[in-house]
Amino acid sequence: MAGYIMRRLLYMIPGFIGIILITFVLSRVLPGDPAVMIAGEQAPPDVVAKIRVDLGLDQPIYIQFMDYAKKLFQGDFGIAWHTGHTVLQDFASRFPATIELTLSSIFIAILVAIPVGIIAAVKKESILDHISRIFSLIGACVPLFWLGLMLIFLFYSKWDILPAPMGRISEGINPPTSITGLYLLDSLLSGDMIAFKDSLMHLILPAICLSTGTMAIIARMMRSSMLEVIGQDYIRTARAKGMRESQVIMKHALSNAFIPTLTLLGLQFGFLIGGAVITETIFSWPGVGGYITDSILSTDYAPIQAFTLISAIVFSLVNLIVDLLYGVLDPRIRYE
Amino acid sequence: MLVKNKWKSSLALLLAGALALTGCASNANSNQSNKNKGTSMTIAYSDGGQTLDPAEAGDLTSDTLTMNAYDQLVTYGVKTVDGNQKANTEDIKPMLAKEWKASPDGKTYTFTLQDNAKFHSGNPVNAESVVYSMDHVKNSQNGSFMYKMASIKKVTAKDEKTVVVELERPNHLFLQMVAMYTFSVIDSKEMKGKGKDYLKTNTAGSGPYKVEKWDPASEAVLTANANYWQGAPKVSKVTMKFIKEPSNRVMLLNKGDVDLAIEIPPKDVDSIKQNAKLNVTSTPSNRILYFAFDQKVKPFDNVKVRQAINYAIPYDQLVHDVMYDQAKQLKSSIPSSMPGYTEEGFVYKHDLNKAKQLLKEAGLSNGFTFDFTLGSGFDDWKDDAVLIQAELQKIGVKMNIKPMARPEFLTGVDQRTLTSYISKWTSFVNDPGYHLGLLLYSKGSSNAFGYNNPQVDKLWEQAELEKDQQKREGLYKQMQVLINADAPWAYLYEYNRVIGAKKEVKGYVTYPDECIRFFPLSK
Repeated sequence: MAGYIMRRLLYMIPGFIGIILITFVLSRVLPGDPAVMIAGEQAPPDVVAKIRVDLGLDQPIYIQFMDYAKKLFQGDFGIAWHTGHTVLQDFASRFPATIELTLSSIFIAILVAIPVGIIAAVKKESILDHISRIFSLIGACVPLFWLGLMLIFLFYSKWDILPAPMGRISEGINPPTSITGLYLLDSLLSGDMIAFKDSLMHLILPAICLSTGTMAIIARMMRSSMLEVIGQDYIRTARAKGMRESQVIMKHALSNAFIPTLTLLGLQFGFLIGGAVITETIFSWPGVGGYITDSILSTDYAPIQAFTLISAIVFSLVNLIVDLLYGVLDPRIRYE
Repeated sequence: MLVKNKWKSSLALLLAGALALTGCASNANSNQSNKNKGTSMTIAYSDGGQTLDPAEAGDLTSDTLTMNAYDQLVTYGVKTVDGNQKANTEDIKPMLAKEWKASPDGKTYTFTLQDNAKFHSGNPVNAESVVYSMDHVKNSQNGSFMYKMASIKKVTAKDEKTVVVELERPNHLFLQMVAMYTFSVIDSKEMKGKGKDYLKTNTAGSGPYKVEKWDPASEAVLTANANYWQGAPKVSKVTMKFIKEPSNRVMLLNKGDVDLAIEIPPKDVDSIKQNAKLNVTSTPSNRILYFAFDQKVKPFDNVKVRQAINYAIPYDQLVHDVMYDQAKQLKSSIPSSMPGYTEEGFVYKHDLNKAKQLLKEAGLSNGFTFDFTLGSGFDDWKDDAVLIQAELQKIGVKMNIKPMARPEFLTGVDQRTLTSYISKWTSFVNDPGYHLGLLLYSKGSSNAFGYNNPQVDKLWEQAELEKDQQKREGLYKQMQVLINADAPWAYLYEYNRVIGAKKEVKGYVTYPDECIRFFPLSK
């Protein structure tokens, strides 16, 4: 097992090198000069030229890459000129917000989609199945920005149920004592129910908004893999033994039907990080998503490169964990 | 079973450990007594800002933060226009300098500093800090060109409270420029032992507010400087919330969750006006929009072609349909609120017959085709381009709209590779000398369109040396008439600066740099 994990981790390295190289080259090949963006419209050419020299942008691209790679190797992701902080500082303050949002939307997606998928499969062609199909279709198609704006309009502006889309916690309420950086968890751990309730209220809308796409896909996947499993011989055997239907489904069918869904969940993680970019901008959520949007709009190379690399690492690790979980679900799968 | 129990017990252990670690007794919100002290105000901004360094600032949020955390040597007076308070840039008022004297040749300024002005650190504002601050601008990345433009040669501290600034040449823009955030006075004593980068994320000023927190991802919190030398501000805490989505800013304002919101989209102005609790202040800004052509490229080298396009622009439609009347037709190369503005020689109106006739005179009765670059980031530009395209089609001119992302667009403008485009311009220095010198003087660094009229150049150079304001404005007027006839651009409109605020918010003043000064605000 340990050998397998080590091997997998080693295999990731060439991938990461490829990602570093491609992101670096792509961000520089695309037109748009950061020096012009930094200097602003009214700056004369000599100011722009000076900035270009200061940033090393006048150097040939391979020298720029060597510089970047050297620093990266020392754990230095560079400075984001559009915030004035180092990329690491920016990530440290924003990443927990994104993680909290992403994890909660996965949680919501699983909580809704798995039961819906199971019910739809068990009650195939029933009215429940049709309703779930229609909702999945809508969930998979609806654009995030539209959904986000509608949710804000309805729940905040019209009905006044949820707080204003301004960050993670209301003004006048202190963020919980930082332990993990996730407000919900931190407020629970420090027994701070005021912060817990308030940050939960702030989290609900963006988390729902971000979860819809994943929810729809998981529900469909759960339904089809469940249907496949239900039709198999061992389920007939289980039923023939006289087991209750609920036990047949939950105990025998679910663990087998869950494997394809798990794969999908791992892949969806990447989609969620991407979706967070839009969701965070709409909800003024102080995570990396909004930060990356700004970085792209202002051709700030360092954060774009760091974000791509860190996302790739997180994505690879999540998928490694998913692969390992197969073994837990299905004893026949063994990693040597 | 055994496995399950193991899981449960380790989870319980983890939780118990975490609880023990943090202690359940107190948390961040257990002590609620520190809430709601004094008046506070929440303002919805759009972007989170890039720096706190006054010499490097160049976006609205950074400018606003530095403007409120620092003081400058001098500032602008305030006048009332149409019931709104507005900066009067021709009227220079004392700030950290209580008085100043210009030498007869206009090349030396001697400033005497206020006796009671102190920095946030408690250090007195002295001549040494002014010298330090000017040097800081000189060596900065973004502010250095302002330093050059102000023609500063040498800054010396004569004594503790007297600063002498020598200029390369007499410069009528000098005092106006020193009033800008770029030339904020920095606490040099506080800066000892700290690198230049310290100012990127910290402030060392004497301004009415201290930047308590600045997180570009969410908010900036400014607290009043109770010991401010001009008296404590009326609002004790200002929170700037960074809300990118314009419709959310409007919603927050309508719901009363923010006291003031900037950059209200023109289409939403009516909905805010209908809200009895809110006020909309819509005042002309220095931000102008123009349609530029590269005059080195055929057929735009022909003045008749440029004039023809000027006659084909649907001016009323742009202002009314695109901008919902939150803009005003631009009728000169400088904004209407700039001193010396004139509409003389602006003969253009939407007249397709006249446009066709001019094309015929230019030998292009069959029209022509050209590329137009549409920079991203501004919704109104796109609508403008499509409307103009439709009108040009009617006179046989085919305009190919090519969309381009903003960074690429700015690079294209900078390297003069675009044939035609729409662009905006805001002159922070409210003076035609600055504005025309950068844009339409043949050697102007932002003259990307190849406009070159020796007569215009001569008048500009003459005005630079003219000390008398009246005479200078006369020269600028002559320049505008010449430029109007040459039609280097098609003028589109000047934007209004639209601010929505609760009725009880008072003291808002419009400045050419568009930064809100929080000091005069109250509610």
